[in-house]
Amino acid sequence: MATDDDDILSGPVPAPDAEPTAAERAHAKTFAELVDKTLSGRTPPAMSADDRALLEVATVIRAASGGLALPAARQGALIEDVLRQAVGVGAPRGAGASHASGITPIGRGRARRWAPWAIAAASTLVAAAAIAMLWLRPPPKAAAPVAAEVVPARWTSRPTDPLIGPIPREHAGEAGARIDYIFADRLDGFRERRWSPGAPGSRGGKP
Amino acid sequence: MRKRTRTHAWLAGVLAASLAAAACAACSTETSQQPGASVTKVPESGDVIDQELMIALAQAKNFHHKAKVYMSDGSLAAATASVRQILSLRFPAGAPEAEDVRLDARALLAKLLVSQGQLEEAMTTVSEGLAQASRESFFVANLHTVQGEIHEARAAQLDAAKDPRAAEEKRAAIAAYDRSIQINASLQKRLLEGR
Repeated sequence: MATDDDDILSGPVPAPDAEPTAAERAHAKTFAELVDKTLSGRTPPAMSADDRALLEVATVIRAASGGLALPAARQGALIEDVLRQAVGVGAPRGAGASHASGITPIGRGRARRWAPWAIAAASTLVAAAAIAMLWLRPPPKAAAPVAAEVVPARWTSRPTDPLIGPIPREHAGEAGARIDYIFADRLDGFRERRWSPGAPGSRGGKP
Repeated sequence: MRKRTRTHAWLAGVLAASLAAAACAACSTETSQQPGASVTKVPESGDVIDQELMIALAQAKNFHHKAKVYMSDGSLAAATASVRQILSLRFPAGAPEAEDVRLDARALLAKLLVSQGQLEEAMTTVSEGLAQASRESFFVANLHTVQGEIHEARAAQLDAAKDPRAAEEKRAAIAAYDRSIQINASLQKRLLEGR
């Protein structure tokens, strides 16, 4: 059974200046409500084929006319993708990947790219300067005389010949006198080393 | 590709930093060995006069004093025993004073033995000392002098017995004195050159 609704698309086209009929007005009101519901996400599960065709046309016209705001999540994902491409990270692998990894600022991304090269260049410069310093500095002088000065001879255990000198025949048996002399000399050196500040084994004061 | 480039960059950075650190370390090591910098020679235990050496010298000194007291009292045997104890004193290993003190003690010991008529033992004491000497010294020269005196004493005994070997002992005494003179001259020359 045919209805007014059924022949709205296949019926005769009314004249441009003709007044809308009551049925047309009622149909327009019903369709308007249908469009509003669709735009608010409450599309009715069942509708006539004509209404569905008209609804699709209305949706396309609305999208084409602009001013259609994207959902916030979709907007964020698009911006992140663009930023990733700008800093050279690449596209996200799956949905929601942008949110998981966070957004890297373009400036920091560039710094990360150049940091190793900057460190390499600076280190090479330092190495070159150090090598040049090694190469150009004057050769060190012999350190032996300085080392000899550190421990005075009078602090060391050494032959007593210079202290005693040649022993005349008439004094050949006077070892007792010589041991006194040797002991006194070595005691002087021992005390000097013992009480000399900074000397190894020193007590750092005066006796 | 981009990731590989970045890895290469990091590797280059690490290598360059290592090179720089090594160069700086080498530089600082070289600098620390320069003569003007801190050159500290920590003496080894055998180098310096330490307590062990002083104790040994003090003991030798006391044995000599003890021997002197015995000698003043006419107790030559006791004096000999006291001097003999010096030979067994423990000195720090490698201390040059040890050899000098022992050689001098042997000289006195030999003279004490000679004064007691023990010429053979006196000669043995001297010969052992000369054999153990590691270097020429005034104490070695003195020991040669004492050796000459022992030869003289032997010659005197042989002369008294009309023994013709007395001439050999006299020649040996002259040789010992010559050796003593030679060592003394050599050491004095060396000491003068060292000044």
